[in-house]
Amino acid sequence: MTFAKRSSAFALALTTSTFLSFSTSFAADLSMWVRASGAGAAQHLVDLWNTGHADKKIAVTVIPDNQMVTKLATGSQAGDVPDLVSFDLIYMPDFMKAGFLTDLTADLKGDPNYAGVAEAYKNIATYDGKIYGAGFTPDVSILVWNKDLFKKAGLDPEKGPTTLAEIHADATKIRALGGDTYGYYFSGACPGCNIFVTSPMMVAAGAKILPAKAGDTPLDGDGVKAVLTEMQAMWKEGLIPASAQADNGASFVSAFMSGNIGIEGSGGFMISLLKEKAPNLNFGVTILPGIKDGQQSAFVGGDVVAIPKGSKQAAVAKEFIHWELTDEVQLEGLAKNNIIPSRPALADNKYFKDEPRVVTTAKALGVGYVPWVFHFNDMVNSDSSPWIQMLQTAIFDGDVDGAIKKARDSMSSIVAQ
Amino acid sequence: MNSSNASRWTGLIYVLPALIFVCAFVLYPFGQLIATSLTSRSLLGGGAFVGLANYEKAFNDSAFWTALGFTARYTLFITPILMGLGLLLAFLVLPNRKIRKVVRGVVFLPVVIGLGTSSFLWYWLFDEQVGLFNKTLVDLGVIAHPIVWFNTANMALWAVIISVTWKVVGFGMILFVAAMQSISSEVVEASLIDGTSYLQRATRIFLPLILRTILLVTLISAIGSMLAFEQLYIMTAGGPRGQTLTTVYLIYQNSFINFKLGYGAALSVILTAIILCGTALQLVLTNRRAHQ
Amino acid sequence: MTGTVTTPAHKTPADENRIAGQNNLNGYLVGAIAVFIGALMLAPLVLSFFASIKPSAEASAVPPSYLPHSFSLENYDHVLNFGAGLGTYVGNSLGVAAFTIIFSLVLSVPAGFGLARFNIPYKEVLFVILLTPLMIPYQALLTPLYFMFAKLGLANTLFGLAIVHTILQIPFSVYLMRNAFESVPRELEEAAVIDGCSTFVSFRRVFLPLVFPGMVTVTLFAFIASWNEFLAALIFMNKETSFTVPIMLVSVRIGHFGAVDWGALQAGILISILPCALIYIFLQKYYVSGLLGGAVK
Repeated sequence: MTFAKRSSAFALALTTSTFLSFSTSFAADLSMWVRASGAGAAQHLVDLWNTGHADKKIAVTVIPDNQMVTKLATGSQAGDVPDLVSFDLIYMPDFMKAGFLTDLTADLKGDPNYAGVAEAYKNIATYDGKIYGAGFTPDVSILVWNKDLFKKAGLDPEKGPTTLAEIHADATKIRALGGDTYGYYFSGACPGCNIFVTSPMMVAAGAKILPAKAGDTPLDGDGVKAVLTEMQAMWKEGLIPASAQADNGASFVSAFMSGNIGIEGSGGFMISLLKEKAPNLNFGVTILPGIKDGQQSAFVGGDVVAIPKGSKQAAVAKEFIHWELTDEVQLEGLAKNNIIPSRPALADNKYFKDEPRVVTTAKALGVGYVPWVFHFNDMVNSDSSPWIQMLQTAIFDGDVDGAIKKARDSMSSIVAQ
Repeated sequence: MNSSNASRWTGLIYVLPALIFVCAFVLYPFGQLIATSLTSRSLLGGGAFVGLANYEKAFNDSAFWTALGFTARYTLFITPILMGLGLLLAFLVLPNRKIRKVVRGVVFLPVVIGLGTSSFLWYWLFDEQVGLFNKTLVDLGVIAHPIVWFNTANMALWAVIISVTWKVVGFGMILFVAAMQSISSEVVEASLIDGTSYLQRATRIFLPLILRTILLVTLISAIGSMLAFEQLYIMTAGGPRGQTLTTVYLIYQNSFINFKLGYGAALSVILTAIILCGTALQLVLTNRRAHQ
Repeated sequence: MTGTVTTPAHKTPADENRIAGQNNLNGYLVGAIAVFIGALMLAPLVLSFFASIKPSAEASAVPPSYLPHSFSLENYDHVLNFGAGLGTYVGNSLGVAAFTIIFSLVLSVPAGFGLARFNIPYKEVLFVILLTPLMIPYQALLTPLYFMFAKLGLANTLFGLAIVHTILQIPFSVYLMRNAFESVPRELEEAAVIDGCSTFVSFRRVFLPLVFPGMVTVTLFAFIASWNEFLAALIFMNKETSFTVPIMLVSVRIGHFGAVDWGALQAGILISILPCALIYIFLQKYYVSGLLGGAVK
């Protein structure tokens, strides 16, 4: 083969592979980014919208959870944003302050449905008196327990633990079953999982976790120490599997799903997931407890929907937000799929009649908290945050006081910036 | 070609595109990096000139020193392992016999696999529940129960070292084999007549004659290790407690997760300074050989 | 150095062993050890392959098994339909690799020619400038590059990512091409000049065919580096539809609600390994010679 032929064959091969790469984009009228863990719920709503709005269909792009904030921030800086975005509500303060989102005050103030949205959502989406988003696919943390294991361990399978001490006592009895059966589980290397399921127990016991502004004391109150001490004891007694220490969230769901875990803090999403993936698992749902009977809390999570500045379809995007707050959508899009509506008044509906466990999550939404803070990633969600370092040092190394002190110092210095 | 002025400039025209590319996409961004490192710029927007404050902060930032320390420890552990095993393997597969050549090819194969991909592969092998590395160790009676490799920084470090060794040990091996084979056979024959033992030949003839290759491969490996990211991002996520964050990981985290572009830029400049020392040494070594 | 790893073929096996300093008996023993090590190196890939052809549930079973109990393509099916679909990710990876190859060749071939064949003023300085990507790690440049690309409209594009991947390839490619052009005998060039060829014509007609092996090596390295690159792809590609194969693996592992689909992960791993392994197996000669020429010489 001559050189000319060889090189043209070569060039042809290159061009072919280049063309291959252009065949992937597809036409849609609106684009929407959704973080992965909210994708299932969001898809229900978007599908419902698309069937009724053939002329302005929405295409969903799923972004891995740990990249959502980065992508949205870099995208906003690059002027390359979707028309709608559904992301972890906790980042609202950072994004509102940065000016990445469209002001929706005029639109939502006049929407009677918006008035009924859960306080936690309204609060987190408001900055300087302006509204920048609405509740979209709510989730809230809860405590789940395995009824079969409770029965085997001689505990009342219908009564979930109502205090931390009770969790500890129940976990001890379940661990006594031996083998691979453990009393309690938590993802020991996952900061986000623990702000979701571990911090509410501290809050229930009266603690305040994150500082909103410089000068606030982080991790304030006895609840922090009480929860860490109890968990450290459970770890030391071997009630928690050793693998929990390195779990960065990969087993947050699958551990309990395996049927070998007695009690675990989890989220409302778990109910429909377990019913689908582990139909034989007999489990109960209760609100996360504190130290004393009657103390309860929850972390209000899930996604808010907002319109990035630079959205090319802001008018239709606004229409979508009004639409998703209506009774019909809240019921047919969310409740029908075992997801709690973002308007608490709708918790009493025909779909939840047969599933009291979902009603429990709807109640949790009422007692739940969500911290309105900047720098959430810095303080909590990053791989080496003070929050996760505190949990690991306290629970796995046993230095509870030292851990709290160190975390307080570094959170204070983060907020002081 | 003659070196008339015209042809000197013709030559420049050929080099120009690459030159412009490097200036536009390496030198200019590097200038911007330095500029950013002097500001408090945030990924969320805003920021002001802060002088050397970011560098001061880095100097007092325990997270930075921990990351640099871990990266150095990783480099100091893995480099001798890679060199030692690479050399042993090179001696092992040196003869050009069919089986050895096949083994050479097999040992080298992981070098062409992406580091990200191989890290996912080993993340699976090390898993305490579904991982077959643990199962093999248990089946062989080396350990009684599966180990949770990523529970402590030390075990995590070794897990990463094992996986990276698998992935890159063939790189050194192949370069050592080539260097050994380029030793003239007369030298080896002469030593055979002298009746030296295998060990003597290995240490007194082969090793000294390929010393420069060893040094170069050591440098290349060490520089690569100082820039480690994927293997930790995928296998340990920096845990436990951020003890396995490398310098590049810390930069990624500061710039893109915590939005602190200015501080991340300062860390990047410091890292560049460290790497620069290594590559300068590498170029000096390369050139000395080229001029011999 | 054109550097293939083979020595002249007239040596007998016994010679080979003697050169390597091993007698025949030891030779068998060492050979056996070599085979054992080869098997050890292959084991992770083989086990991953077995896991990938298990049914999904079996691939995630605790405790695991070495061999599949039943055969299934379920895992490959999962990956094929994962997220935006495997085709999208492979297409993106191929697209970025293709651009990287084109950029690397277009930039490094002329540069190598210029450096090897002309007395360019300040040649040493220019050469060192072309080697700066070795000294300034690209990991440090990602932030400024990102914002630069944002302004140029290159953020989130295959083209932009390919530029980053090309930065990685420039020093090696230029170095390799310079050496390739230098090794072309002077007589050939002089003959071309006598024939009245202009510089460009002799570049195209005389030199290019002779440095073709070098170009193949540049292409192979550009492909493998681009196909495998992780960090820049992680940061620069913003949408699921623009992810490359390694970034797809990140998503496969995270899965939905954190339940890892181990079988799909193995299938994804093997798919991402396949092109590089094939290239290596079939074009080993070019690849290894490039490595020896570029890294050590």
